[in-house]
Amino acid sequence: MITIVKDAPKYIIGEVTITEANLSNSDAFKAELVKLLDEHQKILILDLQELKYVDSAFLGALVSSLKYAMSLKLDIVLSGLRTDIRDLIKLIRLDKVFKIYNYAEEASFAVNKM
Amino acid sequence: MEFQFDNSSAQLVSSLEYMLGQITGNIPPQADKEDILFRCKVIITELLTNAIKHAGKGGTHFDIEMDAQKLIICKTDTGMPLYLVNTRNNTTKADGELNKRLISADFLNSLYAIWESENNIRFASEEGSLNDFLPVEQVMEHFGILIITRSSDEFTYAYDKTTHTNVFRVKINF
Repeated sequence: MITIVKDAPKYIIGEVTITEANLSNSDAFKAELVKLLDEHQKILILDLQELKYVDSAFLGALVSSLKYAMSLKLDIVLSGLRTDIRDLIKLIRLDKVFKIYNYAEEASFAVNKM
Repeated sequence: MEFQFDNSSAQLVSSLEYMLGQITGNIPPQADKEDILFRCKVIITELLTNAIKHAGKGGTHFDIEMDAQKLIICKTDTGMPLYLVNTRNNTTKADGELNKRLISADFLNSLYAIWESENNIRFASEEGSLNDFLPVEQVMEHFGILIITRSSDEFTYAYDKTTHTNVFRVKINF
């Protein structure tokens, strides 16, 4: 579900390769995120440009994974969101807890400046 | 428009696209089409997800009605009742309103259930007050009811004890 396309000193960029993220794959998605955080111990930039459909189960998995990342003193950064998915995240105010960028390159630039 | 959903996750996206397709051509010209379709997309997605999680093997019936002023989406099933059924407390008060109960809250959002009558619940939400320090570990992880409440102008749930039927009703004003 997630392909690592860049491994930099401070971060990794993971491209999400699924188009539908919902109840049927949210547990597996979360497990993959946790595994990446454990293995790399770096900030994870998720490139979500392929994602077309999400539901509350996926958003719950993202929040749960963010909590895990924070417990490791790491972070999960979102990029490449379609407009309607970004609007959904804003609707329930998760834009207050996730750093969100238009592109993964923009996110990596910001992470390097932290 | 009526639609029968088989409660399988494999049919979620195709069912969503079918219902959105039926709505698209019937949105009145004075309405903000893009906004209405966004709201319908997230609402129907959450109703389908709810059906997959809770409606069991009996299938779920969707009924979508539209006129010049409003759109109403009804989801009916005979699965397990919502956890709030039979939890009405007539003495509970929040913000001075009888029969209103806080069902979840974090620093981002608060979600309330308001009992209109026995086992007839209306949902309401408020934005929380943000502080400089954001305790991410306190953020809730269940967003289904909140998403529908925020996307709609009215969201109610009713449980018929006689027929064991759950009815979720969502209204969007044009």
